[in-house]
Amino acid sequence: MALTLEQIRADVADALGEDPAEIPFDENLLDYGLDSVRIMALLEGWRRDHAVSADFADLAEQPAIEAWAPMLGVAVS
Amino acid sequence: MTLLDTDREEPAGTASRAGLPLTAAQSGMWYAQALDPLSPAQNTAECLEIDGPLDPAIFAAALRRVTAEADALRVRVVDTPEGPRQYVEPEVELPLTVLDFRGHEDGRERAEAWMRDDLATPCDLATGPLFRQALFRVGEDRWLWYQCIHHLVIDGFGYSLLARRTAEVYSALVRGAEPPARAFGTLAELVEQDTAYRTSEAFAADRKHWSEEFADRPDVPRLAGRGALPGRTFRRRTAHLPQVTSERLREVAGRLRATWPEVLMAAQALYTSRATAQSDVVLGVPMMGRVGSASLRIPGMVMNVLPLRLSVTPEDTFAELVRQVVLGVRQLRRHQRYRYEDIRRDLGLLGESRGLVGPLVNVMPFDYALDFAGTRARARNLSAGPVDDLTVNVYDRADGGGLRIDHDGNPALYEDADLAAHQDRFLHLLEGLADTDPQVPLRVHGIATAAERALVIEEFNRTGHEVPPTTLIGPIESRAARCPGATALVYGDTSLTYAELNARANRFARHLQSLGAGPGRLVAVAVPRSVDLIVSLLAVLKSGAAYLPLDPEYPQARLTYMLDDAAPVCAVTDRPGRLPADGDTPLVVLSELEPAVLDAELPTNPARPLTPADPAYVIYTSGSTGRPKGVVVSHGAIDNRLRWMQYAYGLRSDDRVLQKTPSSFDVSVWEFFWPLREGAALVVAEPGGHKDPVYLARLIDEQAVTTCHFVPSMLQVFLTGADVSGLCAGLRRVFCSGEALPRETAQAFGKALPRVALHNLYGPTEAAVDVSHHTCQVGDTGPVPIGRPVWNTRLYVLDAALEPCPPGVPGELFLAGRQLADGYLNRPELTAERFVDDPFAAPGERMYRTGDLARWTEQGEVEYLGRTDHQVKLRGQRIELGEIEAALAGRPGVTGACALVREDRPGDQQLVGYVTGEADPSDVRAALSRELPEHMVPAAVLVLDAFPLSPNGKLDRRELPVPVFTGAERAREAASPLEKTLVGLFAEVLSVERVGPDDAFFDLGGTSLLAVRLVTRIGEELGSELTIGSLFEAPTPARLAARLGSGRPAAGDALDCVLPLRPEGGRPPLFAFHPAGGIAWCYAGLAARLGPDQPVYGIQARGLTDDTPLPESLQEQAADYVRRIREVRPHGPYRLIGWSVGGILAHTVAVLLQEAGEEVQLLALLDAFPAEQWRERPAPEEGDALTAVLRMAGFERTDERDREDVLATLRRGGSPLAGLGDHTLNRIVDIVPNHARMMREHVHGTYDGDVLFFTAAAPRAEDWLTREAWQPHVRGGLENLDLDCTHPQLLQDRQLDAICEVLTERLRKLDI
Repeated sequence: MALTLEQIRADVADALGEDPAEIPFDENLLDYGLDSVRIMALLEGWRRDHAVSADFADLAEQPAIEAWAPMLGVAVS
Repeated sequence: MTLLDTDREEPAGTASRAGLPLTAAQSGMWYAQALDPLSPAQNTAECLEIDGPLDPAIFAAALRRVTAEADALRVRVVDTPEGPRQYVEPEVELPLTVLDFRGHEDGRERAEAWMRDDLATPCDLATGPLFRQALFRVGEDRWLWYQCIHHLVIDGFGYSLLARRTAEVYSALVRGAEPPARAFGTLAELVEQDTAYRTSEAFAADRKHWSEEFADRPDVPRLAGRGALPGRTFRRRTAHLPQVTSERLREVAGRLRATWPEVLMAAQALYTSRATAQSDVVLGVPMMGRVGSASLRIPGMVMNVLPLRLSVTPEDTFAELVRQVVLGVRQLRRHQRYRYEDIRRDLGLLGESRGLVGPLVNVMPFDYALDFAGTRARARNLSAGPVDDLTVNVYDRADGGGLRIDHDGNPALYEDADLAAHQDRFLHLLEGLADTDPQVPLRVHGIATAAERALVIEEFNRTGHEVPPTTLIGPIESRAARCPGATALVYGDTSLTYAELNARANRFARHLQSLGAGPGRLVAVAVPRSVDLIVSLLAVLKSGAAYLPLDPEYPQARLTYMLDDAAPVCAVTDRPGRLPADGDTPLVVLSELEPAVLDAELPTNPARPLTPADPAYVIYTSGSTGRPKGVVVSHGAIDNRLRWMQYAYGLRSDDRVLQKTPSSFDVSVWEFFWPLREGAALVVAEPGGHKDPVYLARLIDEQAVTTCHFVPSMLQVFLTGADVSGLCAGLRRVFCSGEALPRETAQAFGKALPRVALHNLYGPTEAAVDVSHHTCQVGDTGPVPIGRPVWNTRLYVLDAALEPCPPGVPGELFLAGRQLADGYLNRPELTAERFVDDPFAAPGERMYRTGDLARWTEQGEVEYLGRTDHQVKLRGQRIELGEIEAALAGRPGVTGACALVREDRPGDQQLVGYVTGEADPSDVRAALSRELPEHMVPAAVLVLDAFPLSPNGKLDRRELPVPVFTGAERAREAASPLEKTLVGLFAEVLSVERVGPDDAFFDLGGTSLLAVRLVTRIGEELGSELTIGSLFEAPTPARLAARLGSGRPAAGDALDCVLPLRPEGGRPPLFAFHPAGGIAWCYAGLAARLGPDQPVYGIQARGLTDDTPLPESLQEQAADYVRRIREVRPHGPYRLIGWSVGGILAHTVAVLLQEAGEEVQLLALLDAFPAEQWRERPAPEEGDALTAVLRMAGFERTDERDREDVLATLRRGGSPLAGLGDHTLNRIVDIVPNHARMMREHVHGTYDGDVLFFTAAAPRAEDWLTREAWQPHVRGGLENLDLDCTHPQLLQDRQLDAICEVLTERLRKLDI
């Protein structure tokens, strides 16, 4: 099953213990509490469930959902 | 074997020839290394275990390629006039050692030993390389890959980048393939990022954030109870958290929407809070600092440590604490680029050498799934860098082995056993947290392991002892029946036998019974110390009533309050007017009692239905809300106490016990009744006599007293009196209680009265006088414990959750057992608050909350650490500051009040009140003296415009001003306005209460730094240009006034080669040679202590004030000094002393003088070590000289890069040294390294005579220094005195006292 932007947002929100509505698409998630351990955990989950092939540094370098989308195989409209 | 790096590629983005500046992160590391250039503390290292086939040649090729790719590995750092700069070399020789240990059974150990040795070898930053590699073959298919890299260029994440890239390149090369393209960024990018940040708005915003967040500068939780400078090494203990526990913690984390590192931080916060008895905990959190940045692909030093502030209370749940961590870390991450060192500097913590964070929790979850062409590898950290205090390193190597936890400790603070205890408890706590619902309050968790819990609750408290159900008075009556003719009481010329005393007390008791006295009732006794007092107290007890002692010295208002509060059936007084007559209490006035009334009563013991459960006495203590409270103690409680005391100390019929404690203080209870229960005699001191040590010594002597009590501060005074040992020949034992007994006092006691036992007792009024005991032994060191529990008594040291603290961990002391008081008279709420359920005993048992901080020793004794609240002890008397504050606030015109006990001069404690408002301070004080007992009246009341507040709005007690007392008691009045001004300035600069016109500056505690300040102040006030030298020559206000008045130009500049510290005196002068900085002011304290008849001259380096060339050799310098000394004293005998380099100079001068045929009587070396000890060690560069200058001024060096920075810091910090002038400071910066060089090149001659040596015996970084190295250069012996201090502390007051004690004695012998 392919990832969607909404799914990414839901997963990120879950990792942070926040409401998905609070998580923006275009902002640096570092300010929302995203850290290397959470990124790794998210990535592990996405690799397992969505056959994602991005690596940690790719995601960690630009921690924003919009920036991630192409790397995670999600088309941005 | 070292391989040459041949097949390098030219890395892109290489720095230019000018090199790169250091990033802020690197600068911190650079300065730490510059402070101690030979320290290996900045070496970080890890070892990878590769279990499988490996091709060493390909591995080396892979390493060469990675070295060529990673700028960090090719860097060297050079100190330049523009500050340190790093140069990325295009190529470096690969520092790889390959060793094959296959043939050795202990191959692995050999490899480990090699790594340990390597790790202990410092890197040379300027020459580089800043890393070393080794590959060990310890089995056919077992390899160890060791990497050691200076922290300046790498951090934990950087290691993982290097390791993964090495595995990737190696795997490709093994396949014969070209490795994937290099993915590392350059060092230049890191520098660029750093520069951009430091000029950005974010930087300013981050600074503001941290300054606000920590504006109140919270106390740092320290597991060792103190701090220390980081050492060159660290201790480590490693443990593995079982996989199942690790998994369960991950589950807990997942449920709480947290990560497992956050859960571990929360656990450490909980542990730290409980282990330090603090609810406000600041942990240090190392942050990798790379997410969202290109530095994710750059091996380098990026990480930062940030303070995570948490509040931990027993009421919160673990889930709440974890959430606090999650939000705290989130907040922290938003400001994570701001450097830890910068936060500390912004808060002003650097200058005070104060920390910001407690333990570090360093979680390294970096991906280490390494694959070397199909062979897996496991990484193991060997060193994570310097350890300030305690660092908990947690590694998740994703290898299924659970978490690895390393506790790294600073060896100055933690022994191996300490680390083991902390680690075992931490793991135990993690197990508990993993097994417990995170939604329950944290109070269910304790940090003690099961074994520790059993030890402190059961084992240390095995005090059960059968006692008969008796009362306080019963045993006295039976004793009187058994020894009627023995002396019971002596007061002045009066002496009563047991029969006489018993009969008098019985008659009076029967009279009191007729007035309503009986069990469960109260009778007040307000009688000064006398025979009548003893008779009255016994009579009350015999009647069955409890006695309420009222100190007749107390103000009327307080007496009225107590009588109203306690409502006794009657009050016994010695004469009319003693007690307020307007109250409801019937008075029994002894002087007005008709003898016939008592004669009519029977002299036999009266009958009364008294049981051990009835109250024996009620004693009032200070109450924090402003009202004193009456403590009700039962017969059973005090009977237990006295039975234990007799068992422990065995009073005999020939003992004589001194009664000197006022009856309102509960120590008097055993003084009164213990001897009367045992057939001994009671020797009663005159009223007021307890304050007069001379009277007491005489009384002890005349009355052959064997047993007495002192409050420690009074004991101290008593011991300094004349001929104590001669006057106290009959003493057998002395008891101390009432306040902490200083070890110095116990030692002074042992010296003065070596055959007398000294017992330290502890207990509050709420637990029948004393509950613990310790007998002092000669030779013991450290704090004097309050000891072990008495019979049928349990001591608990509990944390905030009322869980037991393990030995060594501070907590609040709780008391339980037979001696607990019934509670507070008529105060059920207060009683319920302080006497709570004992959770460790049968239901219904209570424990008393003392408010004292304490900890167990491993041996089962308790040490007192202070108070948890504002109760203070002043000369043994318990005072609630709240009560003083309430009294102050109650005065008209006072709008705010605060009280505290100050100790502005060591050993001199004073109660001081502060008020705001319109009130007149002397009126306030006078009013308080009418309301409060003498010991509770402030020595001074100060009116303030406003109270000093900390940034978060709390009262900042540290900022309350020191009271200034005026009026010299013995000194004459100042003779002129000029003298008067100078007296004022002396007092101001010295912070001394009284200065007389003839008091000498250095005798009053003046230091060289204060001297500079005084001269500056005199310049400001009087416009007179004085030099420090004139202060040495005319050290009193009178003499200075004369000099200023005469208009005589100030002679003898303080920077001249010969500095007359004390030119007068008839004895041969002592010449004191300057240390490395060239200035000899540090010896001023020496002159003050050696007395007025001993001249002292300082010898100072040339060129401090002009451009005289610096000497080429110590020999040349010493020869010059010999000429200068001869100008003062042409011929011997000579006496010489020197500290540090000054010691080497003194030795050299001594040799020269002897060669010239002169006699050298004394050569004293203060922690000085000969040239060859230094020769092999590199001389410090200017960096160190700057550090030395800053240290002279009392600053720790932070980011001062050059002379200008240093001068700026001195000026900004208002340092007196800044007053020296730039020229002199500049010269000092030259003089320090010149000495370092000359000292290394010096060749010693041989001194013919003995050397007196003083060693700064605290552990030092230069642990290779030994005084024995003097042996070849000294023909006589070397007598040594160890002083418990560091080298720089050697000339501080306390050490100088000890040094001068020895010197004075030595000089005195020479004079004979």
